[in-house]
Amino acid sequence: MTTLLTNPLRVGLRQERVISPQCIVIFGASGDLTHRKLVPALFELFRQRRLPSEFAVLGCARRPWSDEEFRLKMAEAMAETIAEHPGAWEQFAQGMFYEPVDLQQSDHLVRLGTRLETIDRLRATRGNRTFYLSVSPEFYGSGCRALAAAGLLADPERSRVVIEKPFGRDYGSAQALNKVVQACAKESQIFRIDHYLGKETVQNILVLRFANTIFEPIWNRNYIANVQITAAETVGVEERAGYYESSGALRDMVQNHLTQILALTTMEPPGRFDAEAIRNEKAKVLQAARLANELEPWQCCVRGQYSSGGTAARPLSGYRDEPGVNPNSTTETYVAMKLFIDNWRWQGVPFYLRTGKRLPKRLSEVVLTFREAPVHLFDAAGGAPTPNQLILRIQPDEGAEFKFEVKAPGSGMRSRPVDMGFSYDDSFGEPSDEGYVRLLADAMLGDPTLYTRSDEVEAAWRLYTPLLELIEEAPWQLPVHPYEARTWGPAAADNLLADEGLIWRRP
Amino acid sequence: MSAQLTLQAPLDVPPAEVTPYLDRLWNGMLEGSSGAATFTLLVWEPSWLEQQLVRVGLIDGPIRGFDRSDLMTAARQALSDCGLPLSTAPMDPRLAWALGQKPGHQSSADLRGQVVESAISAHMPRRLITLAPTLDAGMPLETMVAAYCPLPEEGGTGAVCGDAVVLRGGMGAIQQNLDLIKPLVGDDLPCWVWWNSSLDEPLDMLEALATLPRRLVIDTSLGSPRRCLDVLVARIEAGQAVNDLNWLRLRSWRESLAMVFDPPSRRDALAHVVQLDIDVEGDHPVKGLLLAAWIADRLGWHLIASRPIPADSGSSSESGGIAAEFERTDGVSVRFRLMPVPMGMPKAHPGAIVGLRLICEPMGRPQLCVILCSESGGCMRLESGGMAALELAEELVPLPEEHEEMEMARLLSGGHDSTNPLLASAAPLAARILPD
Repeated sequence: MTTLLTNPLRVGLRQERVISPQCIVIFGASGDLTHRKLVPALFELFRQRRLPSEFAVLGCARRPWSDEEFRLKMAEAMAETIAEHPGAWEQFAQGMFYEPVDLQQSDHLVRLGTRLETIDRLRATRGNRTFYLSVSPEFYGSGCRALAAAGLLADPERSRVVIEKPFGRDYGSAQALNKVVQACAKESQIFRIDHYLGKETVQNILVLRFANTIFEPIWNRNYIANVQITAAETVGVEERAGYYESSGALRDMVQNHLTQILALTTMEPPGRFDAEAIRNEKAKVLQAARLANELEPWQCCVRGQYSSGGTAARPLSGYRDEPGVNPNSTTETYVAMKLFIDNWRWQGVPFYLRTGKRLPKRLSEVVLTFREAPVHLFDAAGGAPTPNQLILRIQPDEGAEFKFEVKAPGSGMRSRPVDMGFSYDDSFGEPSDEGYVRLLADAMLGDPTLYTRSDEVEAAWRLYTPLLELIEEAPWQLPVHPYEARTWGPAAADNLLADEGLIWRRP
Repeated sequence: MSAQLTLQAPLDVPPAEVTPYLDRLWNGMLEGSSGAATFTLLVWEPSWLEQQLVRVGLIDGPIRGFDRSDLMTAARQALSDCGLPLSTAPMDPRLAWALGQKPGHQSSADLRGQVVESAISAHMPRRLITLAPTLDAGMPLETMVAAYCPLPEEGGTGAVCGDAVVLRGGMGAIQQNLDLIKPLVGDDLPCWVWWNSSLDEPLDMLEALATLPRRLVIDTSLGSPRRCLDVLVARIEAGQAVNDLNWLRLRSWRESLAMVFDPPSRRDALAHVVQLDIDVEGDHPVKGLLLAAWIADRLGWHLIASRPIPADSGSSSESGGIAAEFERTDGVSVRFRLMPVPMGMPKAHPGAIVGLRLICEPMGRPQLCVILCSESGGCMRLESGGMAALELAEELVPLPEEHEEMEMARLLSGGHDSTNPLLASAAPLAARILPD
């Protein structure tokens, strides 16, 4: 028991809000996400005693499974985790049920309603329900309609619906989908998930900015010269070619994850810490954001696609050689762009966003580069003084780093840059929960703070509309530049910054 | 009920008619409203302090059965009138008893069970049963029934209605009519039994109400320490889901101490603790013992012996402290002292923690002294004693003053059918540390 690998005083001590008795209904329960993320997240919440005893999971999909088959399938997929906590799983699995449901069949929804009432009586779940649409995006709208028609979303206090990404393919389709789901349920019942917001370090951007007095006074155009937001992956397209071919990096990463990070980094302080106040500020800043050159968007965006690379010992295929990918594909696996935010705080500050697959490192970070000191009083060891930088590391090695100049040891008065760091591992030493654990708990608590609101989603799509239209209508103006796998993207991306005399940070 | 629409004024119904009346109500008058599929809350609500304060004229009625600000103010004033030490917590059952010795005949309306804290009613109990014993032990039993549904603007539908039943009368009358309770508590919904009183009260009533698998809520700060811990341990060992409000009030202390050892660089020190000191308000050690037992259990310490520390003749406290010796997993001894500290303005409940000191002697590294201090009290006693050479980690522990109703609402919002494993491990150890 006294192993000090974890803090023994921390065990079982989570100071979390209490989730009310309820049934979570997962549509698409036979799919990948259910056994990889959703049920493991629910089991983790159960183990942490954050779920009440009056709790049930109802899996729904077209396959004609029984309750027992559903439990077995989940147990097989989570065998490793369950082996460590067999007793807990046995208890948890008693609250797992399955109902074959096709959301397009109205009689199936009637049957579902009856089954939910039975579960309410059996597990005392109080008619409180969270519906999770882990289905193909084309069924989001019809799924909501079916739930509403069956009266399952009628009580706004005790029913919620979680919708996976992508929420739309562009501004028009996102608007249309919003209209459909808002006709079925109140906005307070709709939870549009972006799993990046479940990350501890993404949430920490809010705390860092608004719980400390030292950052906010300098968090503006007067002190910040530019901001870079990077989300780099080392993996290729893996088994997602079918989805990725029709989406690409812009839709897969930028419109949602990077844009949410941008919003949290640039929003105004909310008047209070509640969902509406925060989402109001995020929506406002996204509405003020624009491409650096909307009339000639090709001037402020670079697309790339990884080609083969790696080493002789471990060669890596190019994107077009990946299984399931069109050999002539023009889908981007890398995108970099320059944005501005037209408001008092950020006018004139360039924001550089980039994301890509098969880059040399897996990392996500926000780098705020401060303006240089007005006068250089000292010689710098590196030739010129390095501007101050605040680096928020989202993954891996979560934490923050501040770069500043100090006197280099010796008889002269030369300056050199040093780092002051904060690491989650060093300070807290406990692994953070997987993003889905936090997000599922929030949805079940009815707290939408970390979910995106309709106007945020639409503002995010609208921001990239000139690029999406260009790719659709005149793709030759925004060609995909090949880059060697495990390099930092196409050389053309460097030109986005070159005008300002800047370079991408090499982490 | 606050935030609820009562469909009818609370209706006096003869005791024998309560169950048939409720059946008629749900099957006839409220047809279509199947009742909330939530839980039953059964509350033992004597409110002796409030009743006595009203009787002697220190507060006005009506008697409501939950914390009110004027009740705390009046109770603090009454302490000196009753000759009790200033360190006595206003909720200490000794105050209600002392007030009972004073003359007074003021009467007031009694709304116990009819007015409910909105934090609790927001969870829409299917049935709220309140047992309200009166000061007049010979008073016959009165039973009242009311049905309610949420207001439409609260988003309510007909399927979440509930009812409230009040059994009020002298202790004897309530005891004679306890068989009324069983048919009122259905088997199909979880039932919580909230013993909102001292654990020194007759145990047969507690045993009659808190039968398995009902979930029990008690407060081990109310009652004699030995009795409190024995009841807690017995109930846990019987397999009941027990929630102790006194334990729940420890959460900021446990969180603050865990926080000190979150940085991995400090963790090693936890394996080298040599001394633990806890100061508590007044002379009720249970909360301090639960805290010590939790630490000992988490760090794998084995209790060797414990003994009372005689009261210091110079101390204003009536009783002394408790000393104990533990053995770490590596065989090294850990010294524990729990000391009562007199306070001018104690917290509402007896035995609140004032401060904690943990001294660690890691091999080949400087000694570490961790001091946690209540934000409302000083911990000069713990800060004294030649610790200049030690690495000091000192934190202030925030102590939000939450009413029982808020704690109860937190439990009702998502409870468990088993006792929290940390409490289940700490309680028996705390009982063993308390010297006989």
